[in-house]
Amino acid sequence: MEFLLELLTEELPASHIRSALGQIEAGFRKELAAARIEIVSLRTLATPRRLIVAADLAAGQEDREEVVTGPPLAIAKGPDGALTPAGKGFARSQGVDENLLEAIRTPRGEYLGFKRKAKGTPAAEILKETVPRILAGLSFPKMMRWAESSFRFSRPIHGLLCVFGGTPVETSFEGFKATDETVGHRIASPGAIKARNFAEYKAELEKSFVVVDPEARKRTILTQIEDALAPLKAKVYPDPVLLDDLTLNVEHPLVVFGSFPEAYLSLPLEVLSTAMREGQKLFSVVQDKKQLPYFLGVADAAADGKGLIRKGNERVLRARLEDARFFWDQDRKVPLKERAAGLKNVIFQEKLGSYEDKAQRLKKIVSYLCDKLKAAEIKAETIEAAGLCKADLLTEMVKEFSGLQGRMGGLYAKQEGFPAAVHQAIYEHYQPGSLEDASPSSLAGAVLSIADKMDSIVGVLGVGIQVSGSSDPFGLRRNAHGVCKVILDRKLRFSLPLLLDKVLAVYGDRLTVERGAVKASCLEFFAGRLRFILEKRGFRYDLVGAALGPGVHQAYDALPRVEALDALKSSPQFEPFILMAKRINNILKGLPAAKVNPDIFVEKEERDLYSMFSIIRDNAQPMIAQGDYARAQGIYFKIQPVLNTFFDKVLVMAEEKNVRQNRLGLLQSINRMLLGIADYSQVVVEGEKPAKPKAPR
Amino acid sequence: MSVQDLILNLHRFWAEQGCYLAQTYDLEVGAGTMTPDTFFRVLGKRPWRVGYVQPSRRPDDGRYGENPHRVQKHFQYQVIMKPSPADIQDVYVRSLRSLGVVLEDHDLRFDEDNWESPTIGAWGVGWQVLLDGLEITQFTYFQQCGGIDLSPVPVEITYGLERLEMFLEQKDDIYDLDWSADVTYRDLRFREEKEFSEYNFSVASVGMLRQAFGACQKEAARLIEKNLLLPAYDMCLKCSHNFNLLDSRGAISVTERVKMISQIRALVNDVARRYTAVKEAA
Repeated sequence: MEFLLELLTEELPASHIRSALGQIEAGFRKELAAARIEIVSLRTLATPRRLIVAADLAAGQEDREEVVTGPPLAIAKGPDGALTPAGKGFARSQGVDENLLEAIRTPRGEYLGFKRKAKGTPAAEILKETVPRILAGLSFPKMMRWAESSFRFSRPIHGLLCVFGGTPVETSFEGFKATDETVGHRIASPGAIKARNFAEYKAELEKSFVVVDPEARKRTILTQIEDALAPLKAKVYPDPVLLDDLTLNVEHPLVVFGSFPEAYLSLPLEVLSTAMREGQKLFSVVQDKKQLPYFLGVADAAADGKGLIRKGNERVLRARLEDARFFWDQDRKVPLKERAAGLKNVIFQEKLGSYEDKAQRLKKIVSYLCDKLKAAEIKAETIEAAGLCKADLLTEMVKEFSGLQGRMGGLYAKQEGFPAAVHQAIYEHYQPGSLEDASPSSLAGAVLSIADKMDSIVGVLGVGIQVSGSSDPFGLRRNAHGVCKVILDRKLRFSLPLLLDKVLAVYGDRLTVERGAVKASCLEFFAGRLRFILEKRGFRYDLVGAALGPGVHQAYDALPRVEALDALKSSPQFEPFILMAKRINNILKGLPAAKVNPDIFVEKEERDLYSMFSIIRDNAQPMIAQGDYARAQGIYFKIQPVLNTFFDKVLVMAEEKNVRQNRLGLLQSINRMLLGIADYSQVVVEGEKPAKPKAPR
Repeated sequence: MSVQDLILNLHRFWAEQGCYLAQTYDLEVGAGTMTPDTFFRVLGKRPWRVGYVQPSRRPDDGRYGENPHRVQKHFQYQVIMKPSPADIQDVYVRSLRSLGVVLEDHDLRFDEDNWESPTIGAWGVGWQVLLDGLEITQFTYFQQCGGIDLSPVPVEITYGLERLEMFLEQKDDIYDLDWSADVTYRDLRFREEKEFSEYNFSVASVGMLRQAFGACQKEAARLIEKNLLLPAYDMCLKCSHNFNLLDSRGAISVTERVKMISQIRALVNDVARRYTAVKEAA
């Protein structure tokens, strides 16, 4: 039977709607399952004023057969099989015909009893309770009270439509009795509407300028955008986040196409699109990556017959662009160098000092990184960029549009005539903002990006601020993802622990946590982030674990390591090799380090193994040094037959201590060599129980 | 419709909703919320309905009369309805219709915007109301004021009069607005904007302002001790305006800024706490 629910409210924020729909769906699925009401189908929909559930539910619980047991059979029936007074008493007390009584077998023995049909509760009865409970249990990112009530919700509530099988459910929520009525669009058609099922509801509201299905609204927006742009052969600059929000901001979408004076096209593209998107939720229009003097907005209206909505939006956008131009002109009057002097008044973090302090640290860190990466040709420029990269925090433009930080500094530096390496590095140093975002395209930008993020991570962890599941106030996870992504994308090879040492040294005595501890927690943090990124790229979790086994000393190497494992995992040599590595690992577990002395080998097989090991090691070492793990891994496979013979013919745990220690020493040397590529013991092969680690956050 | 017609209309409309029409408060404030007709009256249990025009000073927004949209002083029409009526959104929509706006031809939106004023320990939940993309009103269910949870919850409706008038007159330049049939906004305000921008950004004496801030702060604390809470609150408002001037002079560092705001807030919260204690006792 059809179930329809609509909670009518004042305008809900898009993020609240998304969260509420998830909670409502989960709530109904859980509550109805617990109440044994079958859900044939259930979906949630919404507009800014409505949270909607449309479902097909069973009419009620299934009837059930119940078994009622009475006294033990031995007491209830006499030896002749007739009922005793106790048996008759049971039948009487249950109001059941004596003929229906039977023996019921239970684990505790036989009892007198009978079976009866229990009528299921109708779904309407159950919905009476569950609907208000689910609605009252909704939580929102920010909640409010209104009027004289202490009840908290996202926005005030105005009505409850709740119909099951065509009639209103006898329930109420926060003083609103459930009805089969709602209202239309606030402006275009605010009258009352009756609806007994979803088809009627949808159709009646559509007549009243409300499209209840967000997907349908989104399609309308996209179609109207396409229609508006077709004659221009232009494209809308894609902005899926904005599109999703607008879809939830309107009940009746109407795309408005407008223009602005071409003179504003002299503003940078970044400024134009930010002013449109952040200021006014407008889409920008592009043709071959060039901004056109048009915009697209989404109104909540039936029509714009007189063009007033378009004109109004044009007027507002002009004012915003005029402001942006004012900022652009004003900001350029003060050179970045002069502006950077003001950074001493801007606090980066209470214990870590000002942005001026940060800029000074960044200069030292990028200088170190340029040396390590043998990038002498950009060293001077990167240091210059480091000193200037935070200056745009003090520009009017960034104060107005914080999302432009970094990029604005880069644009201003370009205007001032700084070399490309400098302004590009400034422009790109916040990149990547997420794992989906692009890494800096210039090496100077990559170096500055890493330095900036490392400085934040070390500093924040170094003053004792912890990152936990829900709490990451300084966005350290995002920062660490950024560092890893830049390293992987640009194949940057440098020692992470040594960089940490450098950053710690640059901080000097500002940090409150002991250096060794900060370094250890940073390394652990990075290992966790790398694991997350590699698994996200689709590598098997156990291969990732094996590749990270040797540590994150060279963070970049985790990638070629796991790629090598991934490429060779289906080779016939792979599984026996892994099993052999595990065998070595098991033998050596917990044993103290031993030395190998080639002069005291007893058996031929151990001599053979040693010489094979030496050859493989000497050949693989340069490959590993160059990061060519796939080739090195191929060579490693060659040790396996020799090792097998060794295990067949030679007793490792020999009686004589010297011989035993020497053999163990040989195996340890081999194990060390293997660990140069991966911790093979973590690889899971056929027949083994996979022990998946807890999903990383 | 001229600005003064707009004001007369709103006065009539809100008087019909049972609002008492207050007169403009005679101190510099950053927003209508800060005047005693809102600040003190949203505290406590007593129902309250008020409407008034309040000039709002934001020294930092000065543009020497050169920007057609930004001014360092603008006018707000402030409405408080306490407790918030269930149909307040509809009432508000009717107020726009009463100004002759044919809403069917426009795009009216209630767009999430949570307002807060850290200086007076106040915050609320609500929307900015957009008319064809233009922000014409701040619509807020007040949750806290002076650091005190409000119950019953008042709703605050703040119309930006110049914005609304620019919409009504379909004009692009604030100075072209008609204040009355023969007085323009330019006649009334242009020189004031030019001179005050000069004063706010370049001429105001930082030393004098710092001194005044300190003096008013001390005086507020002294008055609070004597339970003269309304005069004490006036002193807080003076602190706030002096702070805004210092800020527009670029004399306040980021750290200092946080500190000064929290100094004012501490005094304001103290006033609110004592005010409610006295009132509840009385």
